[in-house]
Amino acid sequence: MEFLAFLARRLAWSLLVLVGLSVVIFVIARVVPGDPARMALGPRASAEQVTELQEKLGLNLPLYQQYGLFIGGLARGELGQSLLTERSVNEDIRTTFPATLELVLTTVFIAFLFGVPLGVAAARWKDSWPDNLVRAFAIVAAVMPTFFIALLLQVLAGYVLQILPTTGRLPTGTDFEANITGLLIVDGLLKGQFNIVFEAMRHLLLPALALSLATMGQMARITRASMIDVSRQDYMEAARAFGVPDRIRLFKYQLRPAFVPPLTIMGLEFASLIGGAFVVELIFSWPGMAAYGIRAITQKDLNAIMGVVMVSGVFFVLVNLLIDVLVGLVDPRIRIRGRRA
Amino acid sequence: MGMMMTKRLLATTASLALASALVAGAAAAQTVVTMNTVQIFGTIDPAKISDYTDYMAAVNLYDSLVTVDSSGNLVPQIAESWVVSPDATEVTFKLRSDATFTDGTPILASDVVYSFERLLRINQGPANLFAGVVESGAVTAVDDTTVSFKLSKTFAPFMATVPALMIVNADLVEANKGEDDGQTWLADNVAGSGAYLLDSWDRGSQMVIKRYADYYGGFLDNPIDEVRWIITNDEATVKALAASGELTMSSQFQSPDTYQALVDMGRFRLESQPTTTAFYLKLNTKAAPTDDIHIRRAIAYATDYATIREVIFPGEPMTTVLPAGFADFWNPDVAAPVYDLAKAQEEIALSAYAGQEIPITLGWVAGTQFEEEISLLMQANLESLGFKVTQQPDPWNRITEIAADVATTPNVNQIFFGPTYPSPDSMFFTQFHSAAAGTWASMEWVQDPAVDALIDAARATGDVAEQARLYKEVQATLADQMVAVPLLAQTVQHAMDNCLQGFNAVPMQSFDYDMTRYNWSCP
Repeated sequence: MEFLAFLARRLAWSLLVLVGLSVVIFVIARVVPGDPARMALGPRASAEQVTELQEKLGLNLPLYQQYGLFIGGLARGELGQSLLTERSVNEDIRTTFPATLELVLTTVFIAFLFGVPLGVAAARWKDSWPDNLVRAFAIVAAVMPTFFIALLLQVLAGYVLQILPTTGRLPTGTDFEANITGLLIVDGLLKGQFNIVFEAMRHLLLPALALSLATMGQMARITRASMIDVSRQDYMEAARAFGVPDRIRLFKYQLRPAFVPPLTIMGLEFASLIGGAFVVELIFSWPGMAAYGIRAITQKDLNAIMGVVMVSGVFFVLVNLLIDVLVGLVDPRIRIRGRRA
Repeated sequence: MGMMMTKRLLATTASLALASALVAGAAAAQTVVTMNTVQIFGTIDPAKISDYTDYMAAVNLYDSLVTVDSSGNLVPQIAESWVVSPDATEVTFKLRSDATFTDGTPILASDVVYSFERLLRINQGPANLFAGVVESGAVTAVDDTTVSFKLSKTFAPFMATVPALMIVNADLVEANKGEDDGQTWLADNVAGSGAYLLDSWDRGSQMVIKRYADYYGGFLDNPIDEVRWIITNDEATVKALAASGELTMSSQFQSPDTYQALVDMGRFRLESQPTTTAFYLKLNTKAAPTDDIHIRRAIAYATDYATIREVIFPGEPMTTVLPAGFADFWNPDVAAPVYDLAKAQEEIALSAYAGQEIPITLGWVAGTQFEEEISLLMQANLESLGFKVTQQPDPWNRITEIAADVATTPNVNQIFFGPTYPSPDSMFFTQFHSAAAGTWASMEWVQDPAVDALIDAARATGDVAEQARLYKEVQATLADQMVAVPLLAQTVQHAMDNCLQGFNAVPMQSFDYDMTRYNWSCP
């Protein structure tokens, strides 16, 4: 019961956050220089053509009316027409979001798969060479810009070694429609087309690796710190005194409570990667929503900008809600504290 | 058990991979050209196309009544011939009787009428070319293969604008009209008669078109069967695509390093051709200090043309505001501006701003390295002459806005401008006529009734010799007033596979990427 009340409270706050987000992005999108109608019609359009499109788009209306129209559309689940692609923004997001989601899921998977064990190893051998190595890696991964890593991987794997593809989600000209979930690996498996699964994984590897390094470093660093913190607890000392084997102490009594901070960070990272993937998407010609959003911003495609930001916002809120629930499952003390509160 | 399953899965995957490789091998027997483009395809609706990638797709998916060759001459396409009335106010086209859309239905005069009316109704893309020249109802089908265009007035460049009118299959569009004149449907589908069919289009990453074997216009020997456009502006990606053997032709916007890297691979050659796209320093003639003709002349003398053309941004020399590619209309008597700081100093001494520090703003597109280099070079030269320079880099969105007002237009502006249609009118009217003031193309704010009169007169006569005389006079006037410093005529460059032939720059949009003009010369 308390949990449902907690969930209802979080949902109400989330709704408020989304309304606030819609207002902020609506205003920002409109104060950025550039006339969307002029941008859409191209540099040689006549003034009369520009005015006609401005009226058609409602850009001649006062801002509050434009916002009302936007919110009205949003309530009906309509994000309007994209000036850049000449299609509905719903359709554009439907086709680009799965590409970004697949990239981000793979990124988080790689980051988690390597980041947590690295953190555990660093904590287990604290202040010895594995720890130093992991810490050095975490710092380098955090400070190296994603675009640099992406270009480095692209040049090495694509240009010098020529072992992995560097553009797109599948080889050009591949006849495959991901019309079940939009995720190529999942749809390939569901349709039994393993060559598609293989190719999709090959194409995913470089962009996901480029995007995952920073998160992996952060995950390793936080897991390490959290593990060390837990190791100093009295109950860990007691377990050691009782002669509980090293392996059980490490994985059962130390890792589980230490798992909460990396899990929370993973949630935040997961959602922010949706927006932050644009550099990698642009470099690897990945047809995702992040690159679509960037193009929308440069072309001042207002509906597309609003659509991408709102979808990212909803995703961010949902993922964090989910993480809150997961954290409660991993650490019962949090649930108890929530109940007491 | 688990091991067995894993082995089976691996075996299945390996055999499927092998099968796909074999299929890919069979497909390789087709001639596939892969080219990178640096921006996405916005639309393929011929009533809405506006930029170079839009046209790149459209010229392959749709045909027009006439098209343009590399010399700017009009060439028959759907129309086999045309007759212009003596007063140049009516043009009658005779359509090819064998011309068909890609669904096999014949192209009728009624399709031309429908395409034109739809263009006017939507009023986007190429519609502005016909505004005030051909009104709604003025295009009529005389019979199934004859169509007449009645012009509201004599408009000499009309024929040059006709290639921009691409013909849609009226029945097909009507059947999918929806509530927006087929705009939603034509955003994803093609109703044309072009030589290629849209195979796939993954917005943001690639577009693939395939040859329509029954194309009424025919193909060269060893034609291109499939064209794949990969969208990337990343130099490393282009090199990686080339190294892996996937790339056949680079975009025209790669860095010199990338062109060289591709040529060094041995498989590519560098195609470099002059174009009619001009690169100027446009001087705001209505704002101080560039409102003074001597200051404008001083800027022209302070421009180091050789360094710009030979070191910073390769291009062909220009002497007047019209590139020499418009051979019949280019004025050979206008002397090319020269770099001479001593003469610049003399001009400053003659100006109203002599004897004082002269503030001046240099505008350029933020993020373009070569424009920044040119602007810094200009700053060094101008400051040695007593100017106080303010650099004003702006993103392109912002430039389109500041160009709308004299007060916000910088004194000096680096601008590229190329013709929309193969006529000098496209260069003169859009940049220098008062009716076109307030855009990024007309940042000089010339607004000179004498210049307007000359341009209007050239538009109103069908006599080509007279047009040439008028345009030459415009060039002399603009050079005398030094409203724009002609820096260079852009050269277009592509790294192309040695086996790919047929690239010839065309002075209109992306008509040079009509893939029927290309073929494969290797076995």
